Amino acid sequence: MSTPFSCDDKQTLISYMYGEVDAAVRADVDAHLSTCAPCAAEVTALGDVRGELGLWVPPDVELDFTIVKKSQLPPAPVLRPAQWWRTVPAWAQAAAAVLVIAAGAGLANLQVRSGPDGFSVSTGWLTPVLSEPFDGEAIERRVEGRVEGRVEGRVEQALVALEQQLRSEMQQARALQAVPAAATPVDEATIRRVQQMLAASEQRQARELALRLTQFTRDMNLQRRADLQRITQSFGQFDEQIFRQRQMLNNVIRVSGVPQQ
Amino acid sequence: MVATDEELVARSMDGDVDSFNQLVLRWERPIYALAYRVIGRDEDARDVAQETFLRAFRALPGFKGQAKFSSWLYRIALNLCRDWIRRKKRTPVVDMPEGVDVIELAAEQGPVESIEDLVARQEMSRIVAEGMKLLPDEQRTAIVLKEYHGLTFQEIADLQGCPLSTVKTRLYQGLTVLRRHLESQGMTTYESGKS
Repeated sequence: MSTPFSCDDKQTLISYMYGEVDAAVRADVDAHLSTCAPCAAEVTALGDVRGELGLWVPPDVELDFTIVKKSQLPPAPVLRPAQWWRTVPAWAQAAAAVLVIAAGAGLANLQVRSGPDGFSVSTGWLTPVLSEPFDGEAIERRVEGRVEGRVEGRVEQALVALEQQLRSEMQQARALQAVPAAATPVDEATIRRVQQMLAASEQRQARELALRLTQFTRDMNLQRRADLQRITQSFGQFDEQIFRQRQMLNNVIRVSGVPQQ
Repeated sequence: MVATDEELVARSMDGDVDSFNQLVLRWERPIYALAYRVIGRDEDARDVAQETFLRAFRALPGFKGQAKFSSWLYRIALNLCRDWIRRKKRTPVVDMPEGVDVIELAAEQGPVESIEDLVARQEMSRIVAEGMKLLPDEQRTAIVLKEYHGLTFQEIADLQGCPLSTVKTRLYQGLTVLRRHLESQGMTTYESGKS
């Protein structure tokens, strides 16, 4: 047979409060509570506390957690510094590279010659002084040089034209880049959801404002009541002082009216 | 017919992510509420809840089903809360959240409640939250698990890793501290315990 419930047995009391006791223990505790006022009061008090706990509510937030497989994820956007040349087609970039090389070769006066000794490459504008006697081969080379000059002129014209074409294409690419994002298709559901969230937020703010205003009014009223009470108390003190002064005056009059012996 | 937790867990273990997401949908709010009441900060509670489901998803192959899925989730969430409290090295802040909409709460209960009553209720909620802040972590957690999640003493003992008697003592002491706090704030009308 188990020992009867005593006032100090708080563990059984807690089990009883939460209904996790068997029928025999319940009956035992019930019997004790019917005769022990402090224990009965404690059970009521703790029950009230439990009731008050229900007032504490977590905020009503939107959670919407979802596990998403990696394969379902869209590629993560990678932020890079703006690189305008990425908008230019590859062939145009290659052509630009050729243009730059050609311009560099022109500036450096690159000369490639083939002769009986094989190929020779030379750069620079200073032509070496001909110490050798004038011969047919040299004349032939000069003629070739003139012909090459004419060819170079045509190449230069072509390169200039190419450069202009490149510039115009780059401008077009930049203009395309500058087109606002509105041109991209936007998910209407997302817009609707954002609008709903905005509307809900506005409503919440309005309610919050109403709540704050009421709190403010209530605080003001409380303050006013407290001030009135203080003023009333001050008047009471004045009355008391006046009463005391009157009593004093009466005493003075009474004393002054008594003939001295 | 609604699938049970066990069925959804079994499907999730077979690689069905949608089934796991059903479990998330079912348990996200209780887990968030648990985290919120233990650590007291909305943003952090949200992070803890999210991390709880991520960890559960990753650890799912190791879930053998000895405990209920919900108990397993609670355990993960409580461990994360404990880490959070330890990391921050401070007592949980249990402020009245800005987002608590007492008006909506009242609307669910009936349209007769005046704005004055609502303000009073919000005030009482704040006092309760303050009282919970006074409690040691173990007592607060025990009360949260018992009062708001309806766990049995044994389940709480398993989660907190302590004997059954300790859970009961924590509950009794916690409720007693709360009672004194509420009385000091003039929230209770009874005369109990004063005789």
